[in-house]
Amino acid sequence: MHYDIIIIGMGLAGLMAAKTAIEAGQRVLIIGKGMGSLCLFSSTIDVLGTLTAPMKMKNGLSQWIQHHPRHPYSNMGVEKIVEALSSFTALFPSSYSFRSINDGNCLMLTGAGTLRPTYLIPTTMLAGNMLEGRQGLVVGFKGYKDFYAHYVAAPLKCQGMTLSLPESPREEMTAAAVSRLMEKQPFRERIGKQIRERKNGATWVGFPAILGLHDPIHVKKDLEDAIGAEIFEISTLPPSIPGQRIFARFKEYLIQKGATWLLGHSISQASLNGKRCEMVFVSNPPVLTSYSADRFVLATGRFVGGGLAATQEKIFEPIFNLPVCQPASREHWFGKTFFANHPIHQVGIQTDPCFRPIDDKGDVLLENVWLAGSILAHHDSIGEKSREGIEIATGYMAAKRALEK
Amino acid sequence: MDSKVTKEETWPKRNLDVCTRCATCVAVCPVARVTPLFPGPKQAGPGAERFRRPNEPSVDKWIDLCIGCHLCDMVCSSGVNISELNLIAKAKYLDEKGRPVRDWLLTHTYLFGRLASLLSPILNPLLQNSVVKWILDSVLSIDQRRQLPRYQSPTFRQWFRGDRFESDKKVAYFYGCYANTNEVDVGKATVQVLEANGFEVVLPPQKCCGIPMLGNGDFKEARRMGLWNVPSLSKAVSSGLELVFSSTSCGHMIKHEYSHLLEIPGAEKLAQHTFDLFEFLRNLNGSGNFNTHFKPISKKLAYFAPCHLRSLGIGFPAFEILRLIPQLEIDFIDADCCGLGGTFGFKKEKYDISQEIGKDLAEAVARLKPEIVLSDCEGCRMQIRHLTGLEVLHPVQVLRDALEKEG
Repeated sequence: MHYDIIIIGMGLAGLMAAKTAIEAGQRVLIIGKGMGSLCLFSSTIDVLGTLTAPMKMKNGLSQWIQHHPRHPYSNMGVEKIVEALSSFTALFPSSYSFRSINDGNCLMLTGAGTLRPTYLIPTTMLAGNMLEGRQGLVVGFKGYKDFYAHYVAAPLKCQGMTLSLPESPREEMTAAAVSRLMEKQPFRERIGKQIRERKNGATWVGFPAILGLHDPIHVKKDLEDAIGAEIFEISTLPPSIPGQRIFARFKEYLIQKGATWLLGHSISQASLNGKRCEMVFVSNPPVLTSYSADRFVLATGRFVGGGLAATQEKIFEPIFNLPVCQPASREHWFGKTFFANHPIHQVGIQTDPCFRPIDDKGDVLLENVWLAGSILAHHDSIGEKSREGIEIATGYMAAKRALEK
Repeated sequence: MDSKVTKEETWPKRNLDVCTRCATCVAVCPVARVTPLFPGPKQAGPGAERFRRPNEPSVDKWIDLCIGCHLCDMVCSSGVNISELNLIAKAKYLDEKGRPVRDWLLTHTYLFGRLASLLSPILNPLLQNSVVKWILDSVLSIDQRRQLPRYQSPTFRQWFRGDRFESDKKVAYFYGCYANTNEVDVGKATVQVLEANGFEVVLPPQKCCGIPMLGNGDFKEARRMGLWNVPSLSKAVSSGLELVFSSTSCGHMIKHEYSHLLEIPGAEKLAQHTFDLFEFLRNLNGSGNFNTHFKPISKKLAYFAPCHLRSLGIGFPAFEILRLIPQLEIDFIDADCCGLGGTFGFKKEKYDISQEIGKDLAEAVARLKPEIVLSDCEGCRMQIRHLTGLEVLHPVQVLRDALEKEG
């Protein structure tokens, strides 16, 4: 089968690239090996978490770009980053939408009981930003082991409450199972009543981010009516229900727009002709299927997504064997302590300003392959708190650049 | 003894150590989502596998609750063959514990399909009779709330014997048991669509693909079916034909499980020439050889992608092709797994789980309000009819209607 453009990778970067291409009228194939890190970690959209609160994101990004000329953001400029973020938020026009608070970062409560800075926040989490001076309550569920209400509540000096679930005889519940229960009206009614009776004057109630997959706004509103307090979600350990909501929305949109959606199988090899990629092979043993295209976007992530892999000595890129910008030897991969900066978190593929892969001399290696997302070199998205921002921005831009050629 | 040796030889490489415990599979598992009785793919597959020893008896009482949808495999970023690990563990557990007569009956319907078709005027009322169903429920534990499939006469094969379109372009067709005796129009529509595209359809001798047995962890019986089918189907392929299937479950079995899991000689080569019907049509469309003289159909439809289609890794070709029909409004149903799981949902002890999984699909259908629901798998179609009461068709039946000459 032949396509105008093939997107390799189904994380945020790949999904944004696919959205951008299909809106430009392209015949799009998107291939994902698995659901990737979007469904594990993402809930809010980090763009540059290191900026302190009163600074506007636009100004902060301008300064950042001045000081980090090789950073992926610097390849596109502030305006295009803003454009990409608007393209992302436009996908969520209904009640479950994303917005920033005062155009800058704000501090959100996490499932570890800490506050972390982030930029775009889904409607279900917004109320978690204005907690000061108000009495609150954090609710968890017995058997749902990824969220401990008292642990989250303690640093805030508010109440914690752990509800028992008779639905869970083994006393073990996954995020997906609790989230599904939340979508059932009788369940909400029951826990709503329990919480109302014991809320002790709390004006807000924080839940782990499990208020249903399909209609969290309805779940939130229904619980607010039942409890008589404002409710919000608190992002917690993987897998992430809010991340899955984002994934599901992209999936629905792309399939309805006519993209070919291929989830579950990896690319085993690519076929090149000089500096052009002609086709990729998807492996589903014993069958190897080839797909050809005029353009390709590689958005396979770093290690979790499988975009990069490592031997004992060396980090490599498995599909095109592109050169990976990395420390000289393994002993320099890691910092001395767990929370130190780890050079391995900056490895990736170097590109020209148009996101095409280059070698050490700066020569373009593949003329019709554009790179997007975490696989890019010269960023430390963990330290910078910029993961979703980089993925959205570069996914959007890589597709734009690809379509210019 | 014989089967045991075979099984050990054919079991895949255990790649459980690449599991990073990320739990994405747990998030999508339709069974773990609705019941705490199943610990989820991560625990049941790579987690429990570390404790399994070939010479020790199986203690995995819950393993039989894996519905076999492969969704865990599809979302795993590390490429762990989770559902295979589950299936092998299920086989060991049931081999040791023994299978009830019911499971043999449910997985061997192919043996009495033709007879049932012949006797359908008597049999169908009996199968819908509440007393008969009550007896099946109490004696065999086949849940009486489940609709049992009706049989049709003549069978698809009998219908096919008439005067057929002849052409130099030929294609072989694996119709599967259900199209042969229970949903004959699916087989007819497939033949009519292929003929409308200039192909003469050939039916190579075939038996049940064996997926019901495999789903119940009966490797020996599944392999027996494969050993019969592969030489027969390969003969058609060797003469230069491609093989198409209209049931994604049969197709997945032939294309992937025969070689990968059951290691049937010749299956790898056969797989290279085996195609989902709509994948075949999409390829025709890609090369400009697809008959697109459609008459408009002004209906609102919703399409559900079966699990086995997803794990074929070909996208959603039926959805893509049907979108070419003018005036047809077609939505993609945002739900995973219908919950029937082949024979799973017929079993009394699993019926409630099956229905609970299906609720998510039923709600998704209700949101879309279609006139007709479409799906490429007979199991999904049965379940969606049961859940929604709507008319449910194979996409090829709609495509055939669009190709029919007016008047």
